[in-house]
Amino acid sequence: MVVLDIETEDGQREALRRMLTIRAFDTKAADLFSDGELPGFVHLYVGEEAVGVGACSALESDDYITSTHRGHGHCIAKGLDPDLMMAELFGKANGYCNGKGGSMHIADVDAGMLGANGIVGAGPPLATGAALTSHLKGEDTVALAFFGDGAVAQGQVHEAINLAATWSLPAVFLVENNQYGEATPVEKQHNVQNLSETAEAYNIPGFTVDGMDITAVYEAVKEARKRAADGEGPTFIEAETYRYHGHFEGDQQPYRTEEDVAIWKDRDAIESFKRRLVDAGAITEAEFDEMKAEIHQQIEDAVGKAKEAAYPDPSEAYEDMFNAAVPEISDFSSGMRADGGENR
Amino acid sequence: MTTTIGLVVNPAAGRDIRRLTGGASVSNNYAKRRTAGCVLAGLTLVDDVEVLVMPDSTGLADRIVDDAPDDLGVEFVDMTVTASGRDSRAAAAHFADHADAVVVLGGDGTTRDVAQTIGDVPVVSISTGTNNVVPTPVDGTVAGAAAGLVGSGAVPTAEATTRHGTIEVDVVRSEETTVIRGLATVGVLDRPFVGTRAILDPSDIVGGVVSRSSPAEIGLSGIAGGLVTHRPDDPGGVGFRLARAGENEATAPTTVRAITVPGTLSTVDVAEHRVLDDREDYAFEVDRGVISVDGEREHEVRDGTVRLRPVSDGPRLVDVESVLERAADEGRFRLG
Repeated sequence: MVVLDIETEDGQREALRRMLTIRAFDTKAADLFSDGELPGFVHLYVGEEAVGVGACSALESDDYITSTHRGHGHCIAKGLDPDLMMAELFGKANGYCNGKGGSMHIADVDAGMLGANGIVGAGPPLATGAALTSHLKGEDTVALAFFGDGAVAQGQVHEAINLAATWSLPAVFLVENNQYGEATPVEKQHNVQNLSETAEAYNIPGFTVDGMDITAVYEAVKEARKRAADGEGPTFIEAETYRYHGHFEGDQQPYRTEEDVAIWKDRDAIESFKRRLVDAGAITEAEFDEMKAEIHQQIEDAVGKAKEAAYPDPSEAYEDMFNAAVPEISDFSSGMRADGGENR
Repeated sequence: MTTTIGLVVNPAAGRDIRRLTGGASVSNNYAKRRTAGCVLAGLTLVDDVEVLVMPDSTGLADRIVDDAPDDLGVEFVDMTVTASGRDSRAAAAHFADHADAVVVLGGDGTTRDVAQTIGDVPVVSISTGTNNVVPTPVDGTVAGAAAGLVGSGAVPTAEATTRHGTIEVDVVRSEETTVIRGLATVGVLDRPFVGTRAILDPSDIVGGVVSRSSPAEIGLSGIAGGLVTHRPDDPGGVGFRLARAGENEATAPTTVRAITVPGTLSTVDVAEHRVLDDREDYAFEVDRGVISVDGEREHEVRDGTVRLRPVSDGPRLVDVESVLERAADEGRFRLG
């Protein structure tokens, strides 16, 4: 795999490829959902691609990330395989969670992806835990938590940042402020205007960057990672971005107008980065079109393979959930209730 | 006659990466809101004042209007909010036709945006940004009082303001020319992209042109200021180029100490500097780089010529202290 280092032209093209892959993957997921082909909800990352790819391009390959319910972009940015992600969306046995997690739980610990998460604000405590592990083991890995503007008001997020700050753990807290917590505009959720201001409460650096500019996110996370790796503790970054789709597919979006969305689409992260690379001679328009076509085909192939793949065997329904056997589950799966009676 | 004062409060100022990479202080929006409240209170020094406030998408302007004194007419400018520097320019364009004076809360970038379209309307610029050259850290009440005195004509504009210089930039690439305007400083940096916009590493600086220079200023104007002092209203400016590693210079460079970002005292080698006349060009050939405008990376350049020239047509900036002293001399603070 090409290294995602946007200081180099190869890395810039790879960053563009990953952003395009996220957009193609999630645009396809929207189509599949509306056609009733996917079980469960999907929350799409279209519009926010520069945050995930910019952040992951600043991390080392063995660093950890935690994700959100809107996690497809984080997975692709971290280098996960779209084939196995699509299989997971379809609930197939070859998916990342053997088909039992679906869109909101894709994880690949070996790749440093500690999991998408259906619980708002559940990622930062995992990142603090991963950072504590790195600290206690004397490793040089850093854990980055992606979380949303809505999560900033969650209690466990405060606990996670406070602990990481107090213990100077190697963590980076990256808020993807996409302007809405579900249907609530950010200014109606918080009493601060910039979410980065909350960093003051933890006595750590906090600042805001343009989340529609991959180079800004990259540079911000690179500096924050350096601080974390140097043992100086966590940094709080707010990336201002926008989701083009609703909170979930099917969201009627009465809380915003088409004009609101158009203002942000004018600043589209992929289009602006592509324009800059074309301008710099790092890619031609023809090469860009070719890259887009390749990715489109890659996603279509992923869907084809996912459709053909097998579902997990019902006999494995209770596997993959716990490390050690849980007697109640063993009893239940063998047809016996914990109280000795038979399951109906 | 009613005095109309424009108010621009930039919710984005003072929150960039220099909170991590440098010693920049935090300027949160609660502080901006309180400062804006002080400005409104200060404006009541003169009678019959109305205030037009730039709207924003963060709710900051809403709170400023909600908290305004009851005896002050405060309204929003009717404009589309884009959550970018375009908002300050659009508000200033409105104020150019409808305001008698303008108060700006922000940094150099905000003041520059306002300067682009404000014309001859006097500007009181209050620093809420990071390491500012143009705006000053003045109390909002004092600044508001000064704006009221100038806007109402109690202190004549000509005696209360100085005309700040600007820098015009042509970026020439093959047959295409892009024009940019800076207020205090424009620099050429050896960086591949705009990124977080802040100038993070002084060793990236290739050179630049400043419309003012002083060793008391932070950034490019501080580098030039180590060699020559140039007042904001002096015509022309100063152009300089730093010695780059691996490049042979015709003459030995001059080593200068300068405060390049808060908390950073840098030592730089200046290969050349020149005091420039009004509209005198100072050029750089750039293979790959970024142009910084008033302390922020703004424009990526590949294989181009960057021609900079100081132009003495900037905004009229209000000297707050002299306005209040002049008003006091005339007995405006005495009752009875």
